[in-house]
Amino acid sequence: MSSAHAAHAAPAPASLADRRVVAICGAPNVGKSTFFNRLTGLRQKVANYPGITVEKRIGSIELPDGQAVDLIDLPGIVGLHPRSEDERISMDVLRGTSKTLPKPSAAILLLDSTTLEAQLRLVPEILGFGVPTLVVLNMADDLAARGGSVDEAVIEKQVGAPVALVSARLGTGMERVRDFLQGTLSPPPPVQLPVLNNIPAERQWAGTVAREASYHPPEPSLWGRRLDTIFLHPVGGPLFFLAVVVAVFQSIFTLAVPMMDTVEALIATSGGWLGAVLPDSILKGLLLDGIWGGVGSVVIFLPQILILFLFVGILEDSGYLARAAAIADRSMRSVGLEGRSFIPLLSAYACAVPAIMAARTVENQRDRLATIFIAPLTTCSARLPVYALLIAAFIPERPILGPFLGTRATVLLGLYAVGFLAACLTAFALKSTVLKSKPMPFMLPLPAYRLPTLRSLSYRLLDRSKIFLRRAGTVIMVATIVLWFLASVPYSNGSPPDIGDSLAGSIGKTIEPLVEPLGLNWKVAIGLITSLAAREVIVGTLGTIYGMETDEDSPALQDALRKDLSFGSAIALLLYFAFAMQCMSTVAIVRRETGGWRWPIAQFAYMLILAYVSGLAAYRIFG
Amino acid sequence: METLTDLAPGKTAVVTELRFGDADAVRLMEFGFVPGVSVSCQRRVPMGDLSVYQLDGFQITLRRETASRIVVRMRAEAEGSDHV
Repeated sequence: MSSAHAAHAAPAPASLADRRVVAICGAPNVGKSTFFNRLTGLRQKVANYPGITVEKRIGSIELPDGQAVDLIDLPGIVGLHPRSEDERISMDVLRGTSKTLPKPSAAILLLDSTTLEAQLRLVPEILGFGVPTLVVLNMADDLAARGGSVDEAVIEKQVGAPVALVSARLGTGMERVRDFLQGTLSPPPPVQLPVLNNIPAERQWAGTVAREASYHPPEPSLWGRRLDTIFLHPVGGPLFFLAVVVAVFQSIFTLAVPMMDTVEALIATSGGWLGAVLPDSILKGLLLDGIWGGVGSVVIFLPQILILFLFVGILEDSGYLARAAAIADRSMRSVGLEGRSFIPLLSAYACAVPAIMAARTVENQRDRLATIFIAPLTTCSARLPVYALLIAAFIPERPILGPFLGTRATVLLGLYAVGFLAACLTAFALKSTVLKSKPMPFMLPLPAYRLPTLRSLSYRLLDRSKIFLRRAGTVIMVATIVLWFLASVPYSNGSPPDIGDSLAGSIGKTIEPLVEPLGLNWKVAIGLITSLAAREVIVGTLGTIYGMETDEDSPALQDALRKDLSFGSAIALLLYFAFAMQCMSTVAIVRRETGGWRWPIAQFAYMLILAYVSGLAAYRIFG
Repeated sequence: METLTDLAPGKTAVVTELRFGDADAVRLMEFGFVPGVSVSCQRRVPMGDLSVYQLDGFQITLRRETASRIVVRMRAEAEGSDHV
């Protein structure tokens, strides 16, 4: 489905022609997104992790004098030599060679004031584009808190461009930014800047400017260093990583249960209330069995998804994820991938679509293709409802490590591990054959630790809920309604047929021979077809099919499944969903990003074979 | 000739030469590894051969293979930290 990013890309490009466009640029992880949010109020992913801003994002603001300005949040750049797709996007916009955006009328260059000597080098490079530029020294709060200081007035004279000392996090110093946007800030006289394309000379110039401005770099953060001692400890580090993962998965089952019960009760109560109010008609059947039963059985899983994203948000915003990536580097390399591929693969736990777009940050084209190819094997959140339903139905909960780890969390963890393993082996196969390439130097910046803000976390959860509910309200609902109709025809003697005699039932029975070797029946077969649209649709489909089959006091979906499937066939179904590319959005985005049908078709076929064969094996083994 | 891989955690050195092709050398310089800059080794990362380096107030991890191509001059403890 559409990513969190696309959801906020606001106005139509048509409006850009006659409006002022201001580009926000800077190195990765200097707080561009926070700054952008502070100005626009638009929500978007803000993370303490390099490479988060991949898509161009546009937000509109109205200045006090009535002027409207469009702000573009550009992907991070480290210099004038773009290597990856996202850096190229930034360069194109700044040069005015972008096909979709006009050359900006002004630019805001964000620098991290806590590492000014490293960052100042970007000033002559960006000023070289000849666009009026405001230089923002961000993270002023962090600089002051750690005993650093800088005279921004001197910097202004030295670089010959207006400068503002700002904390985007706290919102201090933003008046000057607004003045700049209104055009009321008079720029200082221009100065001679170092010749471009000579990085040592630029760096030397940066050192001189910093010295002139009596720049005192902040003291290294003591607690940051202490945290690194723990998180990167030879034994403690990997153990902590493991403990975090286990805690997240266990809480998906334990913490979420009361919330899920509440949601389930709400849906049941409202359904019962509707049933009592509505007159008996076909429409009532559609509403209750189709929509309430089908969509409702998917919506129940919202709390589990939110818990997963709360944890991931904390890990990402705090800066821990970069450390985890460093620890995981070895396994990434053993499959032949560049370390940067870890970033898009990490975001694939949410959804393969933004992950595939994030693969633009991968510098090596062959690595990028390999990353795109394996991203859908990583366990995305659409699989969670399917996993959760089948695990709850077929795996009895028993403690393994006391209250810390139970059988259900272990199976779920196992499924994530299976997906990850398949992704790694596939990458290895690709990288040692068709996508072989020379290694490039590996650099992974470790951002400073920051306390995640409640604001940013709640925006994330809100975004996630919106995406999930939008899916439930569109793709899943449409699939459910179509299924309900197929299951309600042909009418005989004025009443709907038994589900087995309906059109849906005949379709399911036609393809049943194909799934029988996996121990699955025609009802699941219908679900496998409908869930080609999106994985979680199968939960709604099964909810509809079993809901229509049974009477008022229908047993829960879990009980119905337990009666119908064996343990082995449940495992086969789980593995099928772990591997199969049951998601049309992913197919579409791979086609767009790779510019053709070759890769998505190869990927779909490969994953289907993997899914079928492993399902077959599981059913043979577990019976 | 000593390289960044010879730098023990807690020690500091000055970058003197980058033994990479042009494009890769530019990339390293863009990330701060400019000849003349002081780099200190912070720690080794467990599992694998990454090390954490600090330069210009920020931290970055390099693989051993990358670090082995950054030639440095070791710095005595007495030398204070200065700017490039």
